[in-house]
Amino acid sequence: MAGLTSRNLAMFQGGVNMRLLPLSYATRNLGRTPSRMVLTIGGSMLVVLLVLAAGGFVTGMRKALVASGNENNTILLGVGSEESLERSEISMQAAGILAASLDGILNRAGVEGISPEIHLAMPVSLDESTDALGEGELMLVRGITHNAWIVHDEATLLTGRVGEAGRDEAVLGKLAARSLGFEPAENAIDRSIWIDGREIRVVGILTADSGVIEGEIWYPLTDLQVLSQRDAVSCVIVTRDGATPPQIAAFASRRLDLELAAIEEVDYFASLSAFYAPIRTMVLLTALLVGIGAIIGGLNSNYATFVSRIREMGTLQTLGYSRFAITISLLQESILASAVGALLACFIAIFILDGTAIRFSMGVFGLHIDTGVLAGGLLAGFLLGIAGALLPAWRCLTRPIPEALKTTI
Amino acid sequence: MSLIECRKLSRIYNRGAEEIRPLDQLDLRIDAGGFVALMGPSGSGKTTLLNLLAGIDRPTSGELEIGGLSLGDLSRKELADWRSEQVGYVFQLYNLVPVLTAYENVELPLLLHPISSGERHRRVSAALDVVGIADRHSHYPRQLSGGQEQRVAIARAIVTEPTLLLADEPTGDLDRESATAVMELLSRLNKEQGRTVVMVTHDAKTAQYADVLLHLEKGRLIEQEEMAS
Ligand SMILES: Nc1ncnc2c1ncn2[C@@H]1O[C@H](COP(=O)(O)OP(=O)(O)OP(=O)(O)O)[C@@H](O)[C@H]1O
Ligand SMILES: [Mg+2]
Repeated sequence: MAGLTSRNLAMFQGGVNMRLLPLSYATRNLGRTPSRMVLTIGGSMLVVLLVLAAGGFVTGMRKALVASGNENNTILLGVGSEESLERSEISMQAAGILAASLDGILNRAGVEGISPEIHLAMPVSLDESTDALGEGELMLVRGITHNAWIVHDEATLLTGRVGEAGRDEAVLGKLAARSLGFEPAENAIDRSIWIDGREIRVVGILTADSGVIEGEIWYPLTDLQVLSQRDAVSCVIVTRDGATPPQIAAFASRRLDLELAAIEEVDYFASLSAFYAPIRTMVLLTALLVGIGAIIGGLNSNYATFVSRIREMGTLQTLGYSRFAITISLLQESILASAVGALLACFIAIFILDGTAIRFSMGVFGLHIDTGVLAGGLLAGFLLGIAGALLPAWRCLTRPIPEALKTTI
Repeated sequence: MSLIECRKLSRIYNRGAEEIRPLDQLDLRIDAGGFVALMGPSGSGKTTLLNLLAGIDRPTSGELEIGGLSLGDLSRKELADWRSEQVGYVFQLYNLVPVLTAYENVELPLLLHPISSGERHRRVSAALDVVGIADRHSHYPRQLSGGQEQRVAIARAIVTEPTLLLADEPTGDLDRESATAVMELLSRLNKEQGRTVVMVTHDAKTAQYADVLLHLEKGRLIEQEEMAS
């Protein structure tokens, strides 16, 4: 044949075989068995959802703890209770003595940045009978004065007003309200909660930049002292404005009679965060293990699917398609399914999971689905698609073509 | 002028201690523009030979030259490119891609060629015209009869205008009428388009269309018969 040599030349120059199969081949192959497609999409959706939940949990917890530490704040608490504010007890007079002995403390419109507080975990109920049975939800109740709003400047009223002492009024953190069942949180306004036999009216809802405060109930300090029958406070939180941490530490060690320890708020939450690190690791590890399990499941189902197409793969290779081109098409098919699942999971995560209140021993925090978490979920879906298909594709494609062509389903 | 030359061509499988020789030192020349029927009992090595000619299998030893090119020297990728340019393969069971329409199946091999989509469309339509399936463009393989499927498969094999058209029992699964139509089509492609055809068949009547009959037995050529046409 005359044309042969020149065509051979063109062939070797062209490298035509890098060409891929049309994308529609992959999409239609995916739709070939609708039940398999639904299962694959559903499976990857569940796995990605789990990854997103785990990521949201870890991010939410970390964010809550990080947001709660104000770098100008020093906490004065009882010696020996540096690990837990809830166990600490110090004299009510510490606040006044501190104000008198130290300069360089924030003063805003005559209100000093010195906040004596009680931190107590108490059962909170929405009705009297549950409360009477002592079956309320354990929540952190923070006894506060007006100074608390200065010291915790991230805390702002979302709606309503601050509670007045002596009138059984409380402000609920946004997440605290939601974890009690008020959705949206604003619905809690003017509703009653019961704590230890006392009916308390919700007069305000506060936000705090996703910090732990959002999961708390703020109740006037003196009322909480009556309710809990204690004089001592848990801590005094100071906002420095000129004074240095060592100066406050020096004050704490000078006043041996008050038995105070000073700890930077940032450090307090950092060590709290470190305390919970193993739990975050465990959550991520669980997600990882489930993800690996899903990949193994994907390997199985993809292998079964691809094996049934071995003869077709042999045909495509006979036509001149490279194994690479066929692998790419199989990957497209697999990634397409897992990506659809991952996107569905992202929608669910954004509209349902995000902000879901998680009650935890450190308080309440919200699942936090941010772009980082979403990116992680999408990446997991992508990896699921690739890892689940690559090996089965390779095992099917490495059969010799004559053998592949002889395969009958 | 010969298009295909086999010299001491062998294909040997080793299965444990046992040695299977589907092709045993085969010497063979096939002329360009010829129509060759490969016959022989089951297991005589017909498909093995066809696969070697198609470049989807490699000889264990010996020389295989097609169009002056020694196939043994080509890498896997080069061989794939060569197939895409030079070979059309027709299977007994058609092997159409079930998720693609008749038109798309025929288009598939052309997607490997650097031609414009207009030119591609023209060639796919022309190929479907030649095989007489022009009215079934958008049908899926499952919506076609066996004979129609085989004609689409032939269109797919010729759309790249290959030098060599290989067919392994192309009528083996068809009734007499469809078989006749397919054979007449192959014969026309040979006579009118000058394609060299090598076809495996068990059927003497099908073999009548060829101008050379090759009889294989146990991997060896035992008889070569020129047919008067
Ligand atoms: N992958 C393989 N491994 C071992 N032996 C093989 C393999 N493929 C083919 N054979 C053997 O090679 C011999 C020839 O096989 P081939 O398929 O070429 O026969 P054939 O002439 O096409 O037969 P049929 O008419 O039945 O299609 C057979 O004995 C077969 O068992
Ligand atoms: Mg055979």
